[in-house]
Amino acid sequence: MAKTYDYLFKLLLIGDSGVGKTSILFRFSEDAFNISFISTIGIDFKIRTIDLDGKKVKLQIWDTAGQERFRTITTAYYRGSMGIMLVYDVTNEKSFENIKNWIRNIEENASADVEKMILGNKCDLDAKRQVSKERGEQLAIEYQIKFVETSAKDSLNVEYAFYTLARDIKAKMEKKQEASNPPGARSGAHQLRANEQQRKPTSWLSRCSVL
Amino acid sequence: MSLQKSIKSTGDRGDQADNTSICSSVTTQPDRHGFFGGAQYSPEPKRTLSPSTILKREQKWLRMLNNWEAFMSKNYRKVRERCRKGIPASVRPKAWLYLCGGQLLLEKHPHEYEELLRAPGDPKCMDDIRKDLHRQFPYHEMFIREEGLGQQELFSVLKAYSVLNPKVGYFQAQAPVAAFLLMHMPAVQAFWCLVSISDKYLSGYYNPGLEVLQRDGDILQALLRRTAPAVHRHLARHKVEPVLYATEWFLCALTRTLPWDSLLRVWDCFLCEGVKVLFKAALVILAGTLGDAGARKRAAGLCETLQLLRHPPPDVLAERYLLTRMQRLPLSEDDFELEHQRQTARRRALRDRDRDRRYVEMETSRRAVRDAAAAAPAALRKRLQARAPRPRPQVRGRQCTVVVSSQ
Ligand SMILES: Nc1nc2c(ncn2[C@@H]2O[C@H](COP(=O)(O)OP(=O)(O)OP(=O)(O)O)[C@@H](O)[C@H]2O)c(=O)[nH]1
Ligand SMILES: [Mg+2]
Repeated sequence: MAKTYDYLFKLLLIGDSGVGKTSILFRFSEDAFNISFISTIGIDFKIRTIDLDGKKVKLQIWDTAGQERFRTITTAYYRGSMGIMLVYDVTNEKSFENIKNWIRNIEENASADVEKMILGNKCDLDAKRQVSKERGEQLAIEYQIKFVETSAKDSLNVEYAFYTLARDIKAKMEKKQEASNPPGARSGAHQLRANEQQRKPTSWLSRCSVL
Repeated sequence: MSLQKSIKSTGDRGDQADNTSICSSVTTQPDRHGFFGGAQYSPEPKRTLSPSTILKREQKWLRMLNNWEAFMSKNYRKVRERCRKGIPASVRPKAWLYLCGGQLLLEKHPHEYEELLRAPGDPKCMDDIRKDLHRQFPYHEMFIREEGLGQQELFSVLKAYSVLNPKVGYFQAQAPVAAFLLMHMPAVQAFWCLVSISDKYLSGYYNPGLEVLQRDGDILQALLRRTAPAVHRHLARHKVEPVLYATEWFLCALTRTLPWDSLLRVWDCFLCEGVKVLFKAALVILAGTLGDAGARKRAAGLCETLQLLRHPPPDVLAERYLLTRMQRLPLSEDDFELEHQRQTARRRALRDRDRDRRYVEMETSRRAVRDAAAAAPAALRKRLQARAPRPRPQVRGRQCTVVVSSQ
């Protein structure tokens, strides 16, 4: 099949059950909000191709089930992702506290240079808020991760979040290439594919021991 | 009551801006199973058997249910045959309750359900359950209303189970199974059926670790290799692992996957014959979806294949096709048993090997630190030694000498 994109980025959504990962992804891929969602059992994915500084970037976004018990099967799929969205629910203190655990999970299971972003979702529910925006920002500073509050329901900052993460990945990639190639010898997308090949050993589905 | 309103009133209380998209295909009349929309909505009337056939079957079933113990112990084959033909709708709830042993449990513990409900319940479990109540069959008349009777009963059933079996507590995959049962029977019966299904039929599926699920994924793959080698090769080539496509099939016993008429028929068999029915259905879906070379060509990649398996062609999931194919699969009881043993042994070996490797690695690094310490001045030696990792205490000595490569 002919490639209709210049880059392929694999992204991952993690966070406690019920924080709105599936809703965020649905908002981003379908531009809609559906109150009749079902809980995620296992792993799901959606695809959307975006335009980033004149390049077509295909985002393959994996949505995981949030309950602790699923981690044994979901962490095996951290390895190949290039960007991870950590989602908490601003109306749920516990989901915010758990972000630390999710970060530890990333450190243990994802590749070291994975791009990350923290999302405080459901910011439309001001009356029920338990976690202030400032605390979200504070946590983000502590871990040096970008942060934004989102609402899948009101379509607030969802686009922004994915574009930002994608842009960061792209920038990192290009910087790496520049470092490994003398300037001038570069030829855009072609180089990239070579780079993709190098990623193979840590490829998305390389099965790291599941048990 | 206006349905549209009831849908809207869920989840988005107290907001003004309404860009909420309610599912485009919601109707005001439920289908014959109670669905107003969603993937499992089936508006077309069912091509039914003749009234006289239905009547005859009902009578046979009633006779059987009145003599249940005798039939099950002496004439199981007859029961199985009748389940495979499909249980008449009017006796289905009772038949399911008897088939899975829920009735026995209920008789043995007549007041237990109410007692379990009186217990406070683990707060974390209760939270997890509450978050899921409105996320099961949201288009079904029983669960469409936030805090309606269906959702209340769902809470009770799941809570009671979590109190009864704190080791499992609450696992998210239990919610659709419980909700599905509640569509057919009173809460107390649904509860005992859930107990039986969680602890016997899907034993281990809901335990922390999900090892049994992963093992069953391996078994499925091995069986697929025998029944549909080309499909097996395709999945292997594109690294489409069972965890990615079969997790929901197995954990939810297909309740979220099949169109309703097929689901009821598959469950008639599942409750009679056990989990291998789920394997058979999975094998038929896989072969039906990817058996054709053209389909495999079109699904030339991980995502394309997964997409297809997530939404198999309707004719593959249709009642008659699915059930006939399942019964025609060239797999015997022994085949299942053998593969089960094989994969269990293989997993155990892998686990042992993994543990040995970890031990060897630890020993090696411990020795390296010790050697470094021996060569270092006294003050440094002390610090280095303090950091030396200790060997895992419970590793059996016999295995420590085995050096296994990690590849
Ligand atoms: N008000 C509001 N509700 C939201 C928002 N995002 C999600 N929700 C609701 O929160 C609930 C959970 O959303 P999901 O998207 O299913 O959560 P999840 O993180 O995918 O949960 P798991 O699949 O269990 O891991 C649903 O009832 C959504 O309707 C939001 O931005 N605002
Ligand atoms: Mg989800």
